[in-house]
Amino acid sequence: MSQDLGDVHLRLDPDDVGIQDADSLLKAIRTDVRYHEAVHGCLNCGVCSGSCPSHRFFDYSPRVVVQTVLSGDAEAVKDMMDEYIWACAQCYTCAMRCPLQNSPGGLVMIMREVAVWRGMEAVHRLLKPYGRVLLKVLSLGNQLTPDMIQPDFFPDWGPKIPWSSTDLAIKRKAIPVYTLQVTTSAWRVSPETSYELYTIYEETGVFKLIEQIDPNLYEVVADMVEEVRDTVDSAQ
Amino acid sequence: MATELRTTGWDFVTTKVDKRAIQRQNPDDPREHLRELEARGEVKIIPITEENQPIEVETLLGRTKLIPTTKLWHHKSCGQCGNIPGYPTSIIWLMNRLGLEYLDETHQTSCTAWNYHGSGTSNLVALASVAVRNWHRAYETGYFPLIHCGTSFGNYKEIRNLLVEHKELRDEVRRIMAKVGRELVIPQEIVHYSEWLHVLRKRVAALKVYDASQVVTTVHPACHVWKMIPDDVIYDREIYGGERPAPTTAILLELGAKVRDYSTWYDCCGFGFRHILTEREFSRSFSLERKIKVMVEEAQSDVAITQDTGCTTTLDKNQWIGKAHGYHYDLPVMADVQFAALLAGADPYKVVQLQWHTAGWENLLDKIGIDWRASKKRYEAYLEELKNGAVPEQLYLAPND
Repeated sequence: MSQDLGDVHLRLDPDDVGIQDADSLLKAIRTDVRYHEAVHGCLNCGVCSGSCPSHRFFDYSPRVVVQTVLSGDAEAVKDMMDEYIWACAQCYTCAMRCPLQNSPGGLVMIMREVAVWRGMEAVHRLLKPYGRVLLKVLSLGNQLTPDMIQPDFFPDWGPKIPWSSTDLAIKRKAIPVYTLQVTTSAWRVSPETSYELYTIYEETGVFKLIEQIDPNLYEVVADMVEEVRDTVDSAQ
Repeated sequence: MATELRTTGWDFVTTKVDKRAIQRQNPDDPREHLRELEARGEVKIIPITEENQPIEVETLLGRTKLIPTTKLWHHKSCGQCGNIPGYPTSIIWLMNRLGLEYLDETHQTSCTAWNYHGSGTSNLVALASVAVRNWHRAYETGYFPLIHCGTSFGNYKEIRNLLVEHKELRDEVRRIMAKVGRELVIPQEIVHYSEWLHVLRKRVAALKVYDASQVVTTVHPACHVWKMIPDDVIYDREIYGGERPAPTTAILLELGAKVRDYSTWYDCCGFGFRHILTEREFSRSFSLERKIKVMVEEAQSDVAITQDTGCTTTLDKNQWIGKAHGYHYDLPVMADVQFAALLAGADPYKVVQLQWHTAGWENLLDKIGIDWRASKKRYEAYLEELKNGAVPEQLYLAPND
């Protein structure tokens, strides 16, 4: 269920995946409860872009993002959501420097969320390499785990990476903190904790969203969720 | 135009049109509103008490912030625990040396904010619920949450502010917390480990057994620590003239190391949240061009000192590939707390776990006079013992959870 509060919303409805007309997308951005904290106006001064790391290496400017959203040109905003905004590094340097205390990075985050929760086509391509992180964060609540650091995935990290993935279980045991002596999660996460996290994901529409935008991933996650829930329920 | 008219016109523009007036007044202090909410019974505050032996510091706008120093609940970082394990072990090792009380347990999830910033596959209510669930777990144990990760710290500051500002969000999080048997609680302060290290810097420096006076450090401050909700960050008139955050730099100075400035101090590391996984050419180029190269060539740095997870990973892991473009840098990268632990005599392999770092750190340890070769031998022997079934050593006896 969408958290529609009239003028603003707290979150989008996963049942709205597929609603992608430009006006609807712009409205979803502007009615996010955080929108008026992210955008106060814009002098077009470009201070944000002048210090933006992504501006140095991509065709990307936070100034242009803010100006385009403020212009009300819904088609241009939609076009931006396809790829442009995904160059943002989310460092919030722009937010710290803006003379009007805008947060272009915060606005980009709202736009990304709308793009994903409406299932825009580009999102499937953009999220594909993110599958391993999503699997971990959905099933465990951990985002990065020791067994994810593999030389075939990080060949550019150099010749020491194979060491990190060899005899991993023993090397993790050699870390003198009990909670860290695991390989498939960053620390031991109790099943009861995962159980509570699943309730949060259900109540906030996250599981339903994943089911809509990546059914294969959802199937794997759903199996893991069921297993953890069975473990906890049977223990109780 | 008459002066009066010009003034009136400017006032109109700045207050009604472009909202520049918001700059003229400091933002509300969310902690004051938090106390009002508690008085109305809307939330419970996780208090900092005498038991936490707090130390008061000054933040950006001249406000005070209480930093608890003991009876702390470790809010661990997935990136640190998963990829830089010497980060949390150094925190725990130093806490043991200082005789501090803490709780490290399994009933915690990540903040999930890395995934959110990178992929957008979450939402405000989910982020707030995850935060409150972790806070409540700390609350029911009686320990105060100490946040290890910079992104968790930034995210939790933001979530705290949004929960304070929006009744609808509080109502929704309260509803979800009821489903998992928990309540809406918010910590009195959102506290990062670098702040804890900062306020205890004199006690930590007193543990020092090695001389670092010949070591040139360069600091990389983490964006989500000091650029997100910047008014909740520690500043000190003695550090950078009060114009930049004090944590990390202050502990290095207290430890007797040289801290050298460089022109791209303000830049991010290039992590980018999704970039480190999916746009790696950006992370590589930015970290090399804008940070490592400048730290080495401008500052002749011996070591880059960090205060967050993604920064440590990005700056450390992206140096080797630079050889493809003629960059032959090999600058050690480690967190402030790892550097402090090393100088206090922590084992470089068993405790500080430098073997997981990619850039070479051996020359730095030679310069300080730390016998890493002996440490390596002990570690390799220990790995063999573990293979043969030895019981792992622990810095901390875990509770029965």
